[in-house]
Amino acid sequence: MSMNAQTAALLTILVAPLTAVVVLFLLRERGTRVAGWIAGASVAISLTAALTIVPALYRGQAPAVTFPWIPDAGIEFSLHVDWLTLPFLVTEAAVTLVAIAYSWGYHHTDERTSVFYALLLLFGLGMSGTTLADDMVLFYVFWELMLVASSVLILMWGEGERRGPIALKYFIFTHLGSLMVLVGLIVLYGATGTDTFSALRAGVTLDPGLTRTVIGLFLVGFSVKMAVFPVHLWLPDAHTVAPMPVTIMLAAAMLSMGTYGILRFPLSIFPRAQVAPFALPMMIGGVLSEVYGALMALAERDIKRIIAYSSVSQMGYILFGLGTLTADGITGATLHVVYHAIVKALLFMGAGWVLKSTGRRYINELGGLAKQMPLAAICTGLGALAIAGMPPFCIFDSEWMIFSGGFHTAHIGLSVVTLLGSLLTVVYAAQLIMGIFFGSQPEGLTVKKPHWAIVAPTALLTALAFIEGVFPAMLFDWVAHELPLILGGQW
Amino acid sequence: MTGNVWVIVPMLCLGMGAFAIYLVARLVTKENGLLASLTTGVFVAALVAWVPLVTATRQALATGGPLPIWGDKASGSVALRSDPGALVIVGVALALGALTSIYSGRYLARDRRKELYYPLLLLMVTGLCGTVLAADLFNLYLFIELMSIAAYVLVAFRRHSRRAIEAGFKYLVMGSVGTILFLAGVALIYRERGTIALPLLSLAPANAPGIWTRAGLAFFLVGLGVKGALVPLHTWLPDAHGRAPSSISALLSGIIIQSAFYALLKVCLGTGMSARALGGVLIAVSMANMTLGNAVALVQSDTKRLLGYSTVAQTGYMMFGIGIGLHYGIPEAIQAGFFLLVAHAAMKALAFLSKGVHRFYLNTSTLEELRGTASQLPLVAVTFTVALGGLAGVPPLAGFISKWFILGRVLQPGEPLAYVGLAVFLLNTLLSLGYYLPVVARLFVAPDAVPGRTTGRIGVSAWMAVPLVAAAALVIAIGLYPGPWWTWLEGIGPYLLGR
Repeated sequence: MSMNAQTAALLTILVAPLTAVVVLFLLRERGTRVAGWIAGASVAISLTAALTIVPALYRGQAPAVTFPWIPDAGIEFSLHVDWLTLPFLVTEAAVTLVAIAYSWGYHHTDERTSVFYALLLLFGLGMSGTTLADDMVLFYVFWELMLVASSVLILMWGEGERRGPIALKYFIFTHLGSLMVLVGLIVLYGATGTDTFSALRAGVTLDPGLTRTVIGLFLVGFSVKMAVFPVHLWLPDAHTVAPMPVTIMLAAAMLSMGTYGILRFPLSIFPRAQVAPFALPMMIGGVLSEVYGALMALAERDIKRIIAYSSVSQMGYILFGLGTLTADGITGATLHVVYHAIVKALLFMGAGWVLKSTGRRYINELGGLAKQMPLAAICTGLGALAIAGMPPFCIFDSEWMIFSGGFHTAHIGLSVVTLLGSLLTVVYAAQLIMGIFFGSQPEGLTVKKPHWAIVAPTALLTALAFIEGVFPAMLFDWVAHELPLILGGQW
Repeated sequence: MTGNVWVIVPMLCLGMGAFAIYLVARLVTKENGLLASLTTGVFVAALVAWVPLVTATRQALATGGPLPIWGDKASGSVALRSDPGALVIVGVALALGALTSIYSGRYLARDRRKELYYPLLLLMVTGLCGTVLAADLFNLYLFIELMSIAAYVLVAFRRHSRRAIEAGFKYLVMGSVGTILFLAGVALIYRERGTIALPLLSLAPANAPGIWTRAGLAFFLVGLGVKGALVPLHTWLPDAHGRAPSSISALLSGIIIQSAFYALLKVCLGTGMSARALGGVLIAVSMANMTLGNAVALVQSDTKRLLGYSTVAQTGYMMFGIGIGLHYGIPEAIQAGFFLLVAHAAMKALAFLSKGVHRFYLNTSTLEELRGTASQLPLVAVTFTVALGGLAGVPPLAGFISKWFILGRVLQPGEPLAYVGLAVFLLNTLLSLGYYLPVVARLFVAPDAVPGRTTGRIGVSAWMAVPLVAAAALVIAIGLYPGPWWTWLEGIGPYLLGR
C-alpha cells in the first residue's frame, strides 16, 4: 500500500463516522428509519480502514498524517498508527459496530433516533481519535469528546428519574481525572515545548520531583477512566442508568482508554527506572480493585450492576498486569483489554436480552429462564464461564499472561492473592447465571421474543470469545509488537 | 490637535452616530428595526475605521517607530495613544456592539424610550474606546466616567422594574465611589510627579515611587478595582449584569469590565508601579476572583446572576495569566490572558444573548424555568450550550484552548507559586462544571417531564438568530483554529512589560 493510500485509510477512520454524524444531524426526524444503517455502515468502513493499515505496520512503516494547526504554539493536527494504537483502535471500532448493531434491536425508534445514533458515533469517534492522536491538544480534545458524547447519551436516554444527577456525577468525576491528565500533559508541553508524542519519546528531562508528580498524576487520572477502586465511584451508577448500547460502549471500549493512556504516557515516555517506584502501588491497587469489585458484584441484585462491578474487578487485573512492568504482564494487560471487551459486551448483551424480553432486572425476580430462552442461556452462560477465566475461552489466555507477569516479579505473595481472588469471579458469575436461568421461575414472568439484532451480535461475540481463546496467535503477535515502544524498550 | 487621525476616527464615528441617532429617533421615526440598523451601521463604520489604526500600530511596532497618537504636539501633551492591548479591546468592543445592536432590533421591540437606548449604547462604547486609548489620567477619567454613566442608565433602562432601578443605583453608588477614589489617586500622583501624562510603558518612571505615588497607586487599585470587579469589590456586578437588558449585559460582562481592568494595568504600570509588584497583586486577587465567583455561582437560582458570577470567575482566570506574566516577565502568559479575554467576550456575549431570547419569548428568569425549553427554542438551546460548554472549558471550544494556553505558559517559570495557582485554577474549573452543566442539562430535559411546558416550536426572529449564530460560530472557530487569534495578540505582552 502506498503512502497516499495509508493516509487515506488513516483519515477514513475518522472521516467516515464524522460524515455520518453530519448526515444524521441534517436528516433529524426524516432519517429515523435509516439512521441505524447509516451509523453501522460508517463504523464498518472505519473498522475496515483500520484493518487495512495492519500490513503497513508489519512492513515496519508507521502511517502518520500531519497538518499545521497552531504553528505559533508548536501545536499540530497529527494522527498516527503504531503497534500500541492498533489493538485499542480495532477493539474500539469493533465494539462501536456491535453496539450499533445491537441498538437496531434494542433501541426503540422515535423522532430523536438520528441524534441517538449520531451521539453513539461521536462517542466512538472520540475513542478512535484518542488512540490515533499524535498530539497532546488533539488527544485531549478527543478524550473529552468521548466524555461529552457519552454523558449526553446518559442524560437524554438514561433509564430512570435520576439520570440527570448521575450524568452530572459521571461528567464531573471523570473530568477530575481528565484534569489530572491535563496537568501532566501541560507540564510535558512546558518542559519540552513540543506536543507530539513522537517527539516526547525521544526523552524528557524533568526535575526528579516533578517527574514523580507527573507520573503520579497520569496514573491516577487514567485510573479514574479505568474505574479501578477507589476511583470507580462513577461507574456503577453510569453503567446502570445508561441505555444498554451505551453501557456496552462504556464498559467494553471506554474503560480501556484508561489503559491506553497509561501505556501511552507514563509507560512510553519515561524510562523504566523512573516508573519502577510506581510498580508496587499499581499492583496493590490492582489487587484491591479486583477483590473489591468481585465482592460488590456478589452483593448486588441488579443484573446491570453485577456486570458493572465485574468491570471494576477486571480492570484490577489490567492494572496489576501493567504494574508488574514485565513483558508478560504488559502483554497480558493489553490482551485483557481486548478480551474483556469481547466478554463484557457479550455479558451486557445477554443481560439486555433478558431485560428486553422480561422487563425485569433483579436476579431475585428472575429465574428458570433456561427453558424459554435456551440460546440466551447458552450465550450468557458461556460469557460467564469466560469472565471466570475458564479455558478455552479468551480471558483465560490473558489472565495466564498477567499471572505469569506477576510471578516474574519479587512480589509472589501479591500474585498469589490475585490468583486466589479470581475465585470470587467464579462465584459471582455462577450466581448471575443461576439467578437468571436456573432455579424456580417466579410468578408472572413472561418472555417476549427478541429482535434478531439482539440475538445475532450476542451469538457472534460468543463465537468470538471461543475462537480467540483457541487461536490467540494473531492477536498475541500484534500485542507483542508494542513492547519495544514501552519503557524505552528496556526488557 | 494633530496626530494620526485614525486614532480618533472610530470614536468620532460612535459619538457623532449617537447624536445623529438620537435626532432621528426624536424627529423622524422610532421604528426599532431602523434604529437598530443605523446603530449597527455606526459600529461597522467604526470597525472599518479601526482597521487603518491596527495597520498603523502594527507598523510602528514592527519598525520600532512611535505609536500612533492624537493630541497637541506643540505643548507636548498627548490625549490619546494607540497600543496593542487597547486595539484588541476596541476591536472586540466594536464587534460586540455590532452584534448586540442587531440583536436589539428584535429584543427591544417591546420597550419604550428607544431614542435613549441606542445613543447610550454608542456613548458607552465611545467611553470604552477613550478609556483604553487615553494617554493621560485626565482623559482617562473623562472617558471612564462617560462609559460608566451610560452604563448606569442602561442597567436601569427597564425602569418599570424596581430591581433594575435598585441594581442601577447600586452600580451608580459603587461606581462613583470608585471614580472618586481614582480622582483622589490622580491628585496624589500629580502632587509628587507634577504630571498626569501616562508615558509609554517602556518609558515609565523607573525611580522608586515616593509615598504620595504609592498612596495614589493604592487609590487606583481600589478605584479601578471596583470597575474591573476585583474581589472583594465585585458586589455590584451580579446585580447590574443580572438586571440589565441581556444585550447590555453581554457588553458589560464581555468587555466593559475588561476595559476597566486594562485601564488599571496601564495606569499602575504607567505611574511607576513595577510589573513584578502589580503581577503579585493580580495573582493574589485572581485566586479570590476564581474561587469566590465559582463558589457563589453554584448556589444561584437566577440564570443571569449565575452568568454574572461566572464573569467574576473568568476575570480571575484572565488575571491569573496576566499576573503570572507580569510577575515573572513572561510575555506569552500575558498574551494567553488576553486570548481568554477575547474568547470570553464571545462566549459570555453568546450566553447572555441566548438567555435574552428565552426571556423574550418565554419570560423565564430562574434556572428552573429553563427546564425543557430546548423543544421550543432548539437553536437557542444549542447556542446556549456552546456558550456554557465554552465557559466550562470543554474542548474544542474557545474556552478550552484559552485555558490550555494559560496553563501552558504559567508553568514556564517553574516557581512553586505557579504550581499552587495551577492547582487552584484546576479545582475551580472542576467547581465550575457544577453550575454550567446542570443549566445545559435543564435545557434538554424532555418537555413531557415538565408540567406546563408545551412543545410547540417558536420561530426565533432573524434579528436575534443572526447574532447568535455568528457568536456561536466565533466560539467554535476560536477553539478549532486559534492560530490567527493568538498571533493577533502577540504585541501585548512585550508592550505591558515595557520591552
